[in-house]
Amino acid sequence: MQLTDWLHKALQFEKHINQVVIGQQDVVRLMLITVFARGHVLLEGNVGVGKTTLLRAVAHGLGGGYQRIEGTIDLMPSDLIYYTYLDKDGKPRVDPGPLLHHGEHLATFFFNEINRARPQVHSLLLRAMAERSIAAFNQDYLFPHLQVFADRNRVEKEETFELPAAAKDRFMMEINIDVPSSDSVLDELMFNPRFHDTDQLISQLPDSGMEYTQLNGFAEKLQQNIQISAKLKQYALSLWRATQKPQDFGVTLSDVVMPQLMLSGASPRGMSYLIRAAKVRAWLHSRDYVLPEDVQAVFAPCMGHRLFLSPLYAYRHEQLLPALLTGLLSAVAAP
Amino acid sequence: MKILLLFFLVLAGCSNTEHGAVRAFTVHTPRPFGYVLGDEIPQQIILETASDVALQTGALPIKGTINRWLELKQATWEKTEIPDGWRYVIDLNYQVFYVPLEVKMLKIPGFALQLSQQGKISSQPVPDWAFTVAPLRELAVRKDDNGEYMRPDAEPHQIASTNAQIAFGLSASLALAIAGYLAYLYGYFPILNRSNVFKQALRKISRLSKGDIGQILAAVHYAFNQLNGKPLFQVQVADFLSRHPEYAALKVQLEWFFAYSNRYHFGHSLVVIDDDVVRLKNLCQHCRAIERGSR
Repeated sequence: MQLTDWLHKALQFEKHINQVVIGQQDVVRLMLITVFARGHVLLEGNVGVGKTTLLRAVAHGLGGGYQRIEGTIDLMPSDLIYYTYLDKDGKPRVDPGPLLHHGEHLATFFFNEINRARPQVHSLLLRAMAERSIAAFNQDYLFPHLQVFADRNRVEKEETFELPAAAKDRFMMEINIDVPSSDSVLDELMFNPRFHDTDQLISQLPDSGMEYTQLNGFAEKLQQNIQISAKLKQYALSLWRATQKPQDFGVTLSDVVMPQLMLSGASPRGMSYLIRAAKVRAWLHSRDYVLPEDVQAVFAPCMGHRLFLSPLYAYRHEQLLPALLTGLLSAVAAP
Repeated sequence: MKILLLFFLVLAGCSNTEHGAVRAFTVHTPRPFGYVLGDEIPQQIILETASDVALQTGALPIKGTINRWLELKQATWEKTEIPDGWRYVIDLNYQVFYVPLEVKMLKIPGFALQLSQQGKISSQPVPDWAFTVAPLRELAVRKDDNGEYMRPDAEPHQIASTNAQIAFGLSASLALAIAGYLAYLYGYFPILNRSNVFKQALRKISRLSKGDIGQILAAVHYAFNQLNGKPLFQVQVADFLSRHPEYAALKVQLEWFFAYSNRYHFGHSLVVIDDDVVRLKNLCQHCRAIERGSR
């Protein structure tokens, strides 16, 4: 299991995804990073920008058990674990639900419109995501290869439930996906019939050549082989401290009293995810050591959903958070 | 002479009080002459009593008109503990409104301090106090004089303050200059600082050698960060050059510098050779030349 062999496969896989979901190279790169860092992904964007297509394409390319569920207001945790029905003989039956259907071969669990589900369902996912296991029918079920993909649209707020902080923290990245800006890409999406039939588009994806059962082992090897220098550790530590007290690092935002801004900074889990993701990015750039640029490239998607503003400023978070993230990166120097 | 004259009226062993109730009784008053309409006359009464004696403060004179020409403007008292007893200090402030046509003797009427001891009431008289008031107008009417009859006091002449103004101006300028220099040292004038960042970097690295490569890189990074206004990283070099086109000629050297620094700080152990230090110093000198030219 050589790093360079896998790198070739990974870049090929990325190339194929980019042919299916065009004009989203940055998003596809971040998705690829989460796959090799073994992190869960939350995609956020407007309706019809290709969130679901992207997640389905990645899931298809990775192979393994795939399950999908749509978030609805009446979805209950038990709906993920089992469902009951009358069989053709009229006898009551209890069958495994989407989470248990593939057992330990479940590789991708795709939660569409996650913010439409109630907090009870989010709570069930807490353990499934953090420990890759759930308890049902008096026993524990393990999903060692599970990667959760979730998406939510940011257009509607009615009949939706904000994800609790604990659930958000279990996602390695929250990736924002926007409409591509390039005219040629928009032209392709509008007029090329290839992009009109999503099912056919995804079925054309060639096999990635990466066995999903080997991903965990490879990710572990990757994490051990990519080097982090003392200076980089110092840089990451400063960034972490800056998320907690941005005012100490000279970060200023307009119309904000900086000492009152933060309710909580990044969590230790968030920082460990950040470093895992930075290592994968370094590997994808054919390096065996991490640069500050690697950390910066994954900083916003890894940290954006982990920083909580005080109630005084929470209503402006959509405006303040991007400025804060940019300010943090601009305030910490390395070396 | 405006020396206050103190009168001491010490009345010891007051016959009309219970035995030992009053240990000391003093009335302090100012000079008894030289008052005119509107003057204020303070009076302080000090009374020391045994510990079981209480002054009936409700019976003290209250603020307000005493008679048609005298007003009590202020009446306060204070009680402090002394060994085996109490000490009362009563401050009264009278104001005279009498308009005499000639020098006249008046009296502030006395009153009695009420003291209670074991349910019995006794009193300690405060005697009348006599003083003289003088008229405000001239004693003789000068009919032949057409000048001002009643006139205000002459204005005091001003003390020359030129020297003080000069001294103030000098010290204020000095303080401003020091504050400005301090602000410069703290980097509060980024534009001023940016115009000589490489001068400072050159000064720092000029005596450093191969062994101090970390310090050399840090000094050059610091200079670029200062010039950029925020930390500058390798991926931002193109953007930096578009904002500072005067450094575009150094594009290759800049890319080498950032790649070298990354390898040194974040990569595997790098073998530093003398040539690297020379290249770094050359880069810094080129930047300094551009900086000097862009001033």
